[in-house]
Amino acid sequence: MTERETGAGTAARAGAAPRRWWRRSTPWIFAGPAAALLVFFFAYPLVAGFYQSFTADRDGATTWVGIAQYRRMMSDPVFWAALRNTGLILIVQVPVMIGLALLLAFGLNQSWLRFRSTFRIAYFLPAVTMLVAYSVVFRVLLKTDGGLVNQMLTAVGLSEIDWLNSPGWARLALIGSITWRWTGYNAVILLAGLQTIGREQYEAAAIDGAGAVTTYLRVILPQLRPVILFCSVTSTIGTLQLFDENYVLTGGGPGNATMTPVLYLYKVGFEQLDFGYAAALAWVIVVVIGLISYAQFRFFGRDSSR
Amino acid sequence: MNHIARGTGRLRPGRVLFVLLLLVGAVISTAPFYWMVVASTHDNSELFQSPPPFMPGGRFMHNLVELEHSIGFGRVMFNSAGIAVVYTVLSSLISAMCGYALAKYRFRGRGLLLGAVLATMMIPFQVLLVPLFQMMASLGWVDTYQAVVLPFLANSFGIFLMRQAFLGFPDELIESARIDGAGDLRIFYQVVLPVVRPQLGALVIFTFMTQWNAFLWPLLMLNSEDKYTVPVALYTLIGQSHVDYAGLILGSFLATLPLMLIFFLFQKQFVSGLLGGAVKG
Amino acid sequence: MATNPERASLGRRTVLTAGVAGVFSALLGASGCATGGTAKKAGPTLSAGAAAEIKGKISVWSWDVAAKALKRLAPAFEQRHPGTSVEIVDIGYDNAYDKITVGLKSGKGLPDVLTIEGSRLPGYIGVFPGGLYDLTSLAGPHKAEFAPSAWKYSSDAQGKVFALPWDSGPCALYYRADMFEKAGVDPNSIATWDDYVSAGERIKAKTGKKLLIMDPQEDSMFPMLLQQQGQRYFRDGKVALSSEQAVRAGTLLKTLADKDLIAFEKGWDGLVAGTKAGKAATTPYAVWWAGTLTDEMPELKGKFGVVPLPAFDAGGVQTSNDGGSTLAVSGHSTNARAAWAFIEFALADTANQVSMLKNEGLFPAYLPALKDPFVTAPQPYFGDRPVFKTFAELADKVPSVEDSKDDPKARDIMWRSVSGILLHDDDPKKALDSAAKQVAAGTGRAIAG
Repeated sequence: MTERETGAGTAARAGAAPRRWWRRSTPWIFAGPAAALLVFFFAYPLVAGFYQSFTADRDGATTWVGIAQYRRMMSDPVFWAALRNTGLILIVQVPVMIGLALLLAFGLNQSWLRFRSTFRIAYFLPAVTMLVAYSVVFRVLLKTDGGLVNQMLTAVGLSEIDWLNSPGWARLALIGSITWRWTGYNAVILLAGLQTIGREQYEAAAIDGAGAVTTYLRVILPQLRPVILFCSVTSTIGTLQLFDENYVLTGGGPGNATMTPVLYLYKVGFEQLDFGYAAALAWVIVVVIGLISYAQFRFFGRDSSR
Repeated sequence: MNHIARGTGRLRPGRVLFVLLLLVGAVISTAPFYWMVVASTHDNSELFQSPPPFMPGGRFMHNLVELEHSIGFGRVMFNSAGIAVVYTVLSSLISAMCGYALAKYRFRGRGLLLGAVLATMMIPFQVLLVPLFQMMASLGWVDTYQAVVLPFLANSFGIFLMRQAFLGFPDELIESARIDGAGDLRIFYQVVLPVVRPQLGALVIFTFMTQWNAFLWPLLMLNSEDKYTVPVALYTLIGQSHVDYAGLILGSFLATLPLMLIFFLFQKQFVSGLLGGAVKG
Repeated sequence: MATNPERASLGRRTVLTAGVAGVFSALLGASGCATGGTAKKAGPTLSAGAAAEIKGKISVWSWDVAAKALKRLAPAFEQRHPGTSVEIVDIGYDNAYDKITVGLKSGKGLPDVLTIEGSRLPGYIGVFPGGLYDLTSLAGPHKAEFAPSAWKYSSDAQGKVFALPWDSGPCALYYRADMFEKAGVDPNSIATWDDYVSAGERIKAKTGKKLLIMDPQEDSMFPMLLQQQGQRYFRDGKVALSSEQAVRAGTLLKTLADKDLIAFEKGWDGLVAGTKAGKAATTPYAVWWAGTLTDEMPELKGKFGVVPLPAFDAGGVQTSNDGGSTLAVSGHSTNARAAWAFIEFALADTANQVSMLKNEGLFPAYLPALKDPFVTAPQPYFGDRPVFKTFAELADKVPSVEDSKDDPKARDIMWRSVSGILLHDDDPKKALDSAAKQVAAGTGRAIAG
């Protein structure tokens, strides 16, 4: 969110009053529908959720409890475990996935590669698979006794792994399955970004005698900045809101090894019917996401207008 | 990157290794999908054998007939398709327009709007369910398709995607078009949009996919079985003491076919963007 | 308190967002869309009235075979009460409670009749007073006709009735007759859990098979053992997870694990696949497991039999309960009388209950139905053993337990400590003591002495 983006709308200062009015309202013609929809459908739920985080359901009545729910969170071991797990997954999984996706996008962008569209579909398939099929397939893959992954391990002489019952392996399985599901998806976004970079840029670099790696690091990567920012912000949000994958694969276990804040929020709200606490959890998640996203904007956002 | 500009099909060791890696990755990506295809041709009880079956069986048609019988698969596919098409058209347009305004105009409330867009992305959906449901119920929209579609038309993910795409668009081109006398809307449609066609293609694919696979919200909103979408209907195959895995997997497999079609149609945009056209092989 | 997302990234613009949203919220609030949920008040009550009032449309949410059963019965109801129409909606089981919970919390959008499992009822009754109709005066006369344990979870602590029990899940011990025979063990000789463990050792020595399949993370075995001893997670409102009974159950599981008699499998499909593959000689489980065996493992016909659960002490209780649903009238129903009439028609009726056992495998909590010849008849799948008769004889012996809205919280914590006992060799007493402390801290309750 740099302020350096030159606004096209501000360029034409001169002109008659109606013209100026038209100029001023032009942006809202573009942004209006979305803004109206957001205000109409989300303002109330957001405020309601925020209010709810200061309440508790006691004896069937909803009462104001101030910051009691937030205070309770501070001494809730499950919440902290969930936050730690998410941090771990975030640090390991997001960079690995974005790195893989970048490599994949570069690869699929090579003109000499045959069957490019087949490859693209192959890598995009995991993202379009419905969650319910995803869960069945991964449970068949990861079964301790007779699962496909363990069969392959034993075939090459390794011992079986108790994937979903030991904390470390369960986390690894979760990270692997998230990466499997979302790498191709991010690669598609990055590929689309790559496509808008002109041939002149490659040629200019080539004329300067730059090698392949230098070209990518010096020319292409900076151009891709906004897209990489997009991918890392959305992937970070996705990880911090991780729910689907561990809900269907591990249920948060063993112990709390793969518990995440949103899965915990869901359990608290929808299984334990403790809505006030769930709302408080949600807002803490929002703050954490907001802080991390802000850092990412600062880190990647510097050159976003060029 | 020389071989991008003047690359031909010559064999180089680096490329061979690269293609091999790409192939391994593709196999990893598609293997589970292959098993879905296999599973959808077997009987429920065969899937529980250990080891599970690896080769296709002969029950595809039988399972298909069962699926049509149990959840009216044709009907729910039709419902899903209708909802997803309407949603995709409207939402992509709205997202692209809003993203453009956020990237290329400076106006009062821009930061606020961007903040609102990001905020709706950050807040876990689970906590919005109850208040959003109350709104829909107050509007009398329970069990209608507009309740499924309207709240998420302004798709923050799409707006953000398009904003980032437009950020890279050179302002000079907009200025020169303006000097040529083009109005703002014309500039948007004729100058700017064609350039971001790759991202627009991606947006359409993602938007369609999001709506197509959406489960929890349609489940909450729809109360008539004949209005169900594919995921909602498929989940009814999961029972308390009996799960129709064959139907479930067959249904999920068939449900990905339209997504693959959409992907196939719109991915062309990735390789034919205006500026990006140069990269075409 | 930095609790707003935009605050972190966007500074003062936040204030504006909040302002706009606040105005909007006020507008909506005025139109009766408050987020507070239901204030404490007496819930709607339904009492006896003239039969002539039964007309109009009612809608029913259910799932799976239960929905199938009601769809089958609805036309007969419509015929008996001209002018009524019943719409049964299959909302799926997997996320049914998300849908029901959102409806109850919003106070909107619910049908007239809800299917709710016994394990979920206490939570809904406790958290949403007024969410369900108080049926005490209408259902009361049926009390003696239903299994006491099922009646218990259909009513609150004061004895007010909020639902009518539908099916129930009395537990017994399923065994593989062929494996027992090969090992030379007579299933009828297993009277106590100690007998069970020694039978398991013998079977393992002779056949190499484990004794039972368990999910090490989320298994119903431990709660089943608790109910067999007459408790759930709370007793007289106090946390009972570290009670003598609980430790006894935990110790039994530890013994089974130590002697390597448990085959660990993940989830429902793991249990089905493991049983199908013949990994274990027994399954201590509820009556509806019989339906799963019949449907998923036709090739194992004749191999299974059923005996009562082993007791903790000789002569003690030989059953427990797992599962069981109810039908309730949603508190916002506009046709509650017809809704109740439909529930009574479907559930407090021998012919209909027996037909649901026959066609959909739903084992009645309605005791008169258990005397039906179909229940006592030999079952071909089970080698002509009359297995339903075994369950029917156990049905009214299932101990009633104290349920609470805090059960889900306690269950999560219980699962973690049971998982520690099974996988990490935790000492049962210590693990359960720690679980009890966590539950006490999470619910603000005392620990039972």
